[in-house]
Amino acid sequence: MLWGAAIVAASGTSCLLVGSGALWLRGEPVVVHDADLVIEPGEPNLRRLRAVLESMATRPGSLPAMWRMASMDVATVATSYGKIDCLLERGRLDWRRLRESATVLAMADAGVLVAATADTWDLRRRFKERGE
Amino acid sequence: MSERSGLGAVEIAVLTALDSLGAQPGHGYVKSARVLAAVEDAIGLMPGYAYQVLLDLAQWWTVPVTLVSGQGNFGSRGNDPPAGERYTEARLSTAGAVVLAAERGATAPVPVGLINGNTYAGGRRPPLRPAGLIAAIREVSRRPNVTDEDLVVIAGPPVFATGHVGIGDLAALAAGRETDLRLEADVTVSADGREVIVEHIPAGVSIDDVAINIASRARRLPAGHPGLAQVARLPIADLRDLTDRSRHRNGRIACTPDRGTPPEEVRMRLMEVDGVYTIVRAMFPRPLAAMIRDWAAAHAAEDLPASLTALEQALTTTG
Repeated sequence: MLWGAAIVAASGTSCLLVGSGALWLRGEPVVVHDADLVIEPGEPNLRRLRAVLESMATRPGSLPAMWRMASMDVATVATSYGKIDCLLERGRLDWRRLRESATVLAMADAGVLVAATADTWDLRRRFKERGE
Repeated sequence: MSERSGLGAVEIAVLTALDSLGAQPGHGYVKSARVLAAVEDAIGLMPGYAYQVLLDLAQWWTVPVTLVSGQGNFGSRGNDPPAGERYTEARLSTAGAVVLAAERGATAPVPVGLINGNTYAGGRRPPLRPAGLIAAIREVSRRPNVTDEDLVVIAGPPVFATGHVGIGDLAALAAGRETDLRLEADVTVSADGREVIVEHIPAGVSIDDVAINIASRARRLPAGHPGLAQVARLPIADLRDLTDRSRHRNGRIACTPDRGTPPEEVRMRLMEVDGVYTIVRAMFPRPLAAMIRDWAAAHAAEDLPASLTALEQALTTTG
């Protein structure tokens, strides 16, 4: 399930893993249903993200255009590794704060930036409260 | 939800419309568009939603007990969508007629809603094996002091319309707790050892999507991370969809391993591909034994043995 996140990170896209995947990698007893990635804002990074998603997506034709991604809240992409939720709005709002406490964890020979446990639980609570 | 069948109002409206148009088992089919018009007249529901319900009730891969018999393109286990309502025809299946009779009070109730569950429609209540649930209701009717544990064993684990048995914490599920059920395809190495065969694709997953997913995972990964490629890329050189709809209702895909890759390794790696397995989040609204017990008690004054037998017989009848 989380190899998809590792491939996005290995493509040079600046992102950090949150959600159940982050909690699982940090040893929390949760079931991982998808990979939630907070994406660093900025056009060059979005271009890298879109390119790698295009190579992984089950239906590349359904990927949103670059100009749309820049203003979307969440881009959900189905891949053979499972669903990847790209949290674009969260990146625009919280990237710096989440980045400060995140650390890199190794997945094979790729490094994946993973949000701190406290930040991840906090995000989860906020998402659930908003019913997302 | 109806007390007598466990079906929703739209499902009952669809069955009633079929009956009112003379589309009973053994009789002629009627255009789906006419059925939808009758549903709209009866309950004011727009045809788009009602058509999805009609399709669900007719698709063997969607519900364990199909209540509608369809003629024409009712969709497939792949990405081939059903034809529009002007191009398909429908009539009540034998089970559908049994359910409608129960719904109208002509016979005792039948637990078809409990059997079909609602995971296919986005709900969380998983389907159950018809014979298991019927046996459990008979048992509690005959022996009210049967233990909850025995009832759960008799009812058996969730079994989806495609025959897939849910794997997971079944004790938690039976106790009424939310549980993730894993459904898996069969993945085997061919007799000659040259291919790895994926068949019996899980319920709720498109066979075509599984083929796309497998092919997609065999693509090259970003350069510079050989270790990641080693574990994340699927080492196959070729893939063929061998699905013959008359013989492999749930799909058959053959994968040729990369030169030098042991087929057993490919087999293990295929098990990680999305769609070769799927996770269904399931939960009964109450403990399963209590649901069975309460359903039997609520209808104890009626001739349950007769209606359960009628449902059993309908399940062995085609059409």
